[in-house]
Amino acid sequence: MKRLFRAIWTIVSSRVLIPVVMGFFLVVYIGIAFFSDETLILLMALTRRSFLLGTVLALLPLNCASRIFVEADRFRKRRQAMTDAVSGLQPSLYDETVDLMTCSEFADLEGRLVTAGYRTKRSGNLLAAWRGISLSPSRIIFLAAMFCLFSGILVSLMSRTVYRLPVIEGETFQAPTGNGGIVERIIFGKSSGPILARDLVIEVAESGSAGGLDRFGVYPPSRFRGLFVYPRYLGIALFYRFSAPDMPGVYEKHDVLPLYPPGKEAATEISGSPYRITLRLEKPDDGSDPYITGRMSFFFKLMKGTDVLYSGSLARGGEFARNGYRLEFPDCRRMVITDFIGDYGVLLIWAASLLFLVAVSTWMPIRLFCSRREMLFRSEDDMIRACSRSEGGVRRHAGVFHEALDLLETKKNAKQSKDGGVSAK
Amino acid sequence: MPVLIPILQLFAWTVILLVVMRGTPGFRRYVTIGAGIGFALGVAGVLVISRLLPGDLHLRIIRTALGVSFFFLWAVAVAAIYRSNVRDIPLFRGKRLTDSPLPAFACTIMTGVIAGSIIACRLPGFDGAAVQILAFAPLALTGALLAFAALAGEKALPTSITVTPSALLLTVVALLLFCSSSILRLDLFSPLSMKVMKGIHDFVHQFMESVLIPDHIFIRPEIWGYIGILFGKEVGFWGGMVIWFTPAILIALAIHFEPLPSVAHIRQGAQRRRLLADAIRTRRSRLVIPAVAVVALAAAAYQSSFPSVEYWDPKPLAVTATPAGDILIPKKGEVDLWDGKLHKYLYKQGGKEVRFFVLMTPDGKLTVDLDACAICKPDGYGQTEGTVICYYCKTLIPLDTVGKPGGCNPVPVPFTEREDGVHIEAITLYNSWTRTVQATTRIKENGK
Repeated sequence: MKRLFRAIWTIVSSRVLIPVVMGFFLVVYIGIAFFSDETLILLMALTRRSFLLGTVLALLPLNCASRIFVEADRFRKRRQAMTDAVSGLQPSLYDETVDLMTCSEFADLEGRLVTAGYRTKRSGNLLAAWRGISLSPSRIIFLAAMFCLFSGILVSLMSRTVYRLPVIEGETFQAPTGNGGIVERIIFGKSSGPILARDLVIEVAESGSAGGLDRFGVYPPSRFRGLFVYPRYLGIALFYRFSAPDMPGVYEKHDVLPLYPPGKEAATEISGSPYRITLRLEKPDDGSDPYITGRMSFFFKLMKGTDVLYSGSLARGGEFARNGYRLEFPDCRRMVITDFIGDYGVLLIWAASLLFLVAVSTWMPIRLFCSRREMLFRSEDDMIRACSRSEGGVRRHAGVFHEALDLLETKKNAKQSKDGGVSAK
Repeated sequence: MPVLIPILQLFAWTVILLVVMRGTPGFRRYVTIGAGIGFALGVAGVLVISRLLPGDLHLRIIRTALGVSFFFLWAVAVAAIYRSNVRDIPLFRGKRLTDSPLPAFACTIMTGVIAGSIIACRLPGFDGAAVQILAFAPLALTGALLAFAALAGEKALPTSITVTPSALLLTVVALLLFCSSSILRLDLFSPLSMKVMKGIHDFVHQFMESVLIPDHIFIRPEIWGYIGILFGKEVGFWGGMVIWFTPAILIALAIHFEPLPSVAHIRQGAQRRRLLADAIRTRRSRLVIPAVAVVALAAAAYQSSFPSVEYWDPKPLAVTATPAGDILIPKKGEVDLWDGKLHKYLYKQGGKEVRFFVLMTPDGKLTVDLDACAICKPDGYGQTEGTVICYYCKTLIPLDTVGKPGGCNPVPVPFTEREDGVHIEAITLYNSWTRTVQATTRIKENGK
């Protein structure tokens, strides 16, 4: 059982796992590309439905979590080794490890290393020398970012729910998880931000309290009862009345029409009749945006089958009447087609972006200007075990390390010849 | 140029052999025999398959083999770069197998088969079997003889040039891709660029939806303009270039980062420095072969982007509609609709121009299509080698699929075939063009 766990741990914490899993998904992607143009969408749908693909995808965050553990453990062990808190030095933690049969006097060596720009510390039979800052914390942050990213993708892919509903001024704020108060206003205006050109705020009266307002903006999206409120498209909620000579009575309808921006056309059917009305929001002569100002006027075409009977312009509250045909627009309101999204993966993906930013902005200067180089010399019985590792400037550091070993060797030879000389006397 | 291409291909085959022989020093004789047999088999295989089975099965098999080889190269390149900086990864334990001549022999046969079949595809298709064999046999013989010539030539190469296994694979695949890039239907770079363009478009769209980034009506036009760059043809081209060259770069980096030998146990500084200098020199000389591969890949990408093929692309003939809104293309008149060639027409309405074409497909049926597809900008189509090509993304559409909707196929237009010719409803044609052009322009120029 122990061997099985060890094997599983080796696989799960292996650095090869991420490229292998990504390669696997690439193969599936290429396979799908042979049969479909909607490759990515199909791959996402397949992963959502297939237990096998989901499990393979789950290996990615699992691997990142294990790599964090491994990286932190190695970092801790190296720190302990520097303080002589452990017995013996593990060669697997270092780039080079050498055992020298030599004396254990470090005084000259310490001076040499200080001259070479290293900070030193002696404790008992250990001499530690180092310079620079370790990249391990940055790497751990980077791995944490990867963990958040892959977890976010996994959670988002497996559990995302999307409900598309219209939000209309003056109507109840309807959400799949329960209704809110009345939508007091939909404010659409110019934004002064560097990214957004327009701002949209949906003001909703708090249900059950006196006078409070909930505000839902564009970005970052606000949440309502566990769901993100994600405004997608603008439109108009139109109430119209229509009567024709060959119709039995007046036809009334509340319709939501995706008419924004001005010039975009949409059609509404008069059910049970051959009539159809196509509408377009007119752009005012002064260049203003009717959705912002609220001064809305519509260009309409009244059609019977494929024939255009009448066309013209009608503002809110206006009426058109000719030859027994009558068309009225008693009311129109701003409307936003809104997605209500249940997805906790989004939060993880946002967290991943922040962590990536921190990791890269700390890793880069450390790697370029003060990368960590360290060496340890520990005397054990009649020998010295010397270890060295560096995260940058490898060859220069290796040169200093090798010269340090040469110095120890020279000292040994000098001592031997001195001892030999004494005994000869 | 058409004469030069087979000579370049045979030259590339010779370079493949030289590199393989330098990379497998103990098995030169096996490699030579395997290469000779493989090349002859490849040439014979194309001859047999193209005669026995109709259509382009032989081309599809070769293209798949090239695609798999390129994918395998990617896997090896990633493994190589990982191995260069993580020492404790046991990637391959079959040392006994690699020490035997069998894998080298088998791999060389496979390489020979692919190279032989690619070069054979350049030969013209004759009707008589005897004439075909007369054309193919000298090629098979030349390829086999070049294998033996390379055996002698390899000894003349400087001994300092050595090849790692990953660089060997890289060079072989790069030169095979170079050979295939001059044949439109075997070329991988253009379809790769197109897939990258589509992949990036889908990815950006999904990413924006995933992290709830607002739609274009809320975003500043200049910012949206930057996002729109990701949807363009150039991104497909440069993305394709990245995928094309990355294996070569990874393998070169893997060689560059190969760990130097540990010299900590040596107590003479001069000896240490000499050992390290030797190791660094050897490492540098190993980069020569990947450099050759990079040149081959660059040449392949260039040939693919600027093919020396001439497309049949007639000037569109202006047509008009009757007062009832009917466009008539006569069967016999200025052009013959049944000649199997692309015939383009131009219809003008309200200041807008609608381009469409009429074509007889290989199954003898007429098809009417817009000179545009549902994905790309409407740059139109040209005809060549049993296909039509989308000028925007360079995708090849086999003639037998023209008239079917989807992907980069030309958008089909409903029509009626009568005694006097082909009848098309002007309003249907106009609406179809407007819808398609609006959708593709929105996708390519304004993003989502």
